[in-house]
Amino acid sequence: MSEIITTLKKDYIYNLMIKGKRQDGRGFKDFRDIKLETNIISKAEGSAKVTLGETQVLVGVKLQTGTPFPDSQDEGVIITNLELNPIASPEFEPGPPREDAIEMARVVDRGIRESGAIDIKKLCITVGESVWIVFIDVHVLNDDGNLIDASCLAAIAALMTTVVPNEQQGIGTNVPLAMKEIPVGVTVAKIGSKLIVDPSLDEEAVCETKMTIVSSSDGSVAGMQKMGSAPLTEAEVMEAIDMACEKAAELRELYLEELVKQE
Amino acid sequence: MNDKPNKLITDDGLRLDGRRADEIRPMKIEIGVLSRADGSCYLEWGRNKILVGVFGPREAHPRRLQRADAAVIRYRYNMASFSVEDRARPGPSRRSIEISKVSREAFEPVIMAELYPKTAIDIFVEILQADAGTRTAAINASSIALADAGIPMKGLVTSCAFGKVDGQIVLDLNKEEDNYGEADFPVAMTQDGEITLLQMDGHLTPEEIKKGFELVKKGCKEILEIQQTVLRKKFETPVEEPEAEPEAKIVDTESEAAETEPSLEYAPEAAAVEETIEEAEELEAEPSEEVTETVPEAEELEEIVKEAEVEVVDGEAIEEAIEAETEEEAIEAETEEEAIEAEDESKGPWKVVKDPSESGSRGENDE
Amino acid sequence: MEKKIVIPGDLLSENSKKAGYGTYVKNDKIYSLFCGIESLKEDKVGVIPLAGAYIPSVNDVVIGIVIVVTPSNWIMDIASPYDGLFHVSEYPRRIESQNMPEVMDVGDSIILRVKDVDSSMKVELALRDSNFYKLKTGLVVKVEPVKVPRVIGHGGSMISMLKKETNCSIFVGQNGRIWIDGRDEDMELLSKALRKIEAEAQRSGLTDRIYNFLKSERSKKKESRPAKYFKSKKKETKLPKESHSEEIYRKIDVLLDPKN
Repeated sequence: MSEIITTLKKDYIYNLMIKGKRQDGRGFKDFRDIKLETNIISKAEGSAKVTLGETQVLVGVKLQTGTPFPDSQDEGVIITNLELNPIASPEFEPGPPREDAIEMARVVDRGIRESGAIDIKKLCITVGESVWIVFIDVHVLNDDGNLIDASCLAAIAALMTTVVPNEQQGIGTNVPLAMKEIPVGVTVAKIGSKLIVDPSLDEEAVCETKMTIVSSSDGSVAGMQKMGSAPLTEAEVMEAIDMACEKAAELRELYLEELVKQE
Repeated sequence: MNDKPNKLITDDGLRLDGRRADEIRPMKIEIGVLSRADGSCYLEWGRNKILVGVFGPREAHPRRLQRADAAVIRYRYNMASFSVEDRARPGPSRRSIEISKVSREAFEPVIMAELYPKTAIDIFVEILQADAGTRTAAINASSIALADAGIPMKGLVTSCAFGKVDGQIVLDLNKEEDNYGEADFPVAMTQDGEITLLQMDGHLTPEEIKKGFELVKKGCKEILEIQQTVLRKKFETPVEEPEAEPEAKIVDTESEAAETEPSLEYAPEAAAVEETIEEAEELEAEPSEEVTETVPEAEELEEIVKEAEVEVVDGEAIEEAIEAETEEEAIEAETEEEAIEAEDESKGPWKVVKDPSESGSRGENDE
Repeated sequence: MEKKIVIPGDLLSENSKKAGYGTYVKNDKIYSLFCGIESLKEDKVGVIPLAGAYIPSVNDVVIGIVIVVTPSNWIMDIASPYDGLFHVSEYPRRIESQNMPEVMDVGDSIILRVKDVDSSMKVELALRDSNFYKLKTGLVVKVEPVKVPRVIGHGGSMISMLKKETNCSIFVGQNGRIWIDGRDEDMELLSKALRKIEAEAQRSGLTDRIYNFLKSERSKKKESRPAKYFKSKKKETKLPKESHSEEIYRKIDVLLDPKN
């Protein structure tokens, strides 16, 4: 059952938008407060928890050895999974992943894969026989809106702190996971004719459509997904990309670049 | 790390993590960590990290699940894929389904489900990091989350395991003891010592079981004190300003766990009442409401509500509310009208400026 | 009187005859069922819960949201485990089934009274008085139902203070839904204040604290943008969407005038 969004709330949020305001007092390009914690699950090879407003997402990275895909025999494998656990919202129910959970997992995965964040060649142990499989498990703990940006941020932070457990396999010493890029996902929602970043739960409920843009350090885009049934104009898409790349650069600088130095 | 240590208990009677046979691992608890859940609890016990969210009583659906005479209680024990050494496949396993069932049954005797017919009370457990004894840890956390959600309970349920290691009966097994010990015996009990969960695997003599029960009773008593302390603290202590961090403070305990002193995070004496609440009576659902008036336009029935002035009606409504909720014969409803009247709260500065004409002044700015 | 926090399972009294709300009796002794405040009186021992769901009871006034329109009923979410039914015959004038959504459609918010709750927890709703209060402007804020008394305050002290200090209209439903209406800035401030009341419900001297909070927030706002405050507001009221509510404010003011 999904939460009923009242006409009253819809009108209220729309009216605010027209006046250039948001319900929680933020500007259109403001994120809520972000808290990033890393290395919190010692059983995982890498982990990070992101708190975005009241949204909480925990990502654990596990590495296991396995066989490579036949068409990429010298490359490691990335598998991203996302669970919308019923603990996170009264609207989530136990059961197999819903389509939106699968969509979110795939958007997170695409950003990491297409930006070339992980140096997958370095995950090869024996060509054609044995490679590292990187499992990125996104565990949603509390849904207060914009799960996808929190998930993207937690996933990349967890990867950046991941250690490849070579010793466990008797193939050398443990090394940090080789990273080449820091992709950051930013979601832009359209409410009325306005575009805003980091939609809250209420804003997500009333927005006509939203779009997640994952961008790399050089300002190029590595993955995008439009979600929601209302259309967007080309101009809106371009404006959203600009907004997202600008915010992504800020988030990268504020939260992720220090993780590189730690290595 | 998968090699069995020579000895799980040293010659001087200490276990690998430095505990004696009758000691539990250190426990850390936070309440109200999830904004979307009705009640929640984050618990660390040894290296276990567990999050519990309680939802309800809420509408039970699908409808066929509903019980006409009581709430259905649902308990879902779920392991995060990264919570264990080898990645676990997401979703329920036979093990987690079994644990969910026995854990639900551990709570059924204490939850007053009959007060909420046709509803569901959901207890969702997420094991974020597993380190032996997750089901007992989850039950301890669930008790607190249920109380936090305002679910009526006859008391807290407390859980702890004992086992046999190197031929000795010990309390609250850690990972190595669980892996290489000779028996594991998780128990949950009410505060009166009634056993609501019991499982066992391994080899134990009746004498050993008797001895184990003594240990478990001691362990559960200590845990109950921790649970009670954090709950009292949550409801007694005023919220800190700026607001206390709602997040679970997650610390990496992997490396230090071996040396950690098995001391309790919360000493029972910390429960000392810090502040008594002046206005308790007020909380007793003073059944007041705003008087609203409509603009007298006959054809426009859908009029926006307007407020005039405060009216406090008598206590009837709440009295009935209380009666409707309570089915136990011995329990009767009542309100505290006298108390409300007796207690005067009118010392605030707003009283000084109180002037009926004030309330209408807003319009001036609008013109 | 001594105020004591109790938790489930706490022993309250050895005299089982005094068992009151929020308690149970075992072996002739009274224990608490809730986390709450102990209420000891001569003939009754009870517990005032500090958390919990809203359970409807007769004559409660609640804010409902239409979730389904059936041929004869509006099914309302009343922020409770039990939905409420508002039967078409309760509406002051006769309506054909097909016209029901014109009166109230999914997503609409209405102030209603609980008319009846039967043993199977079927909840029937009726008009609060003879008037139909559909909420068309403003916002509904949700607080925990057990904290509603704190929002109202002793003898209505909190709510009169809130109104005066924020210039907003407020209606408190017993189900924890609170309707507020006023200017954007005022509503934002009031929402903040309501969240603060909810978070600090067990603190003493709450009305004073909230009063001071509102004052300090106001002065912060004024510092940040001094003279613009009144100007920009005027602009807002010119927007077509606002014209309706401006009209309403005028009417409210007439009503509120003590001379009338």
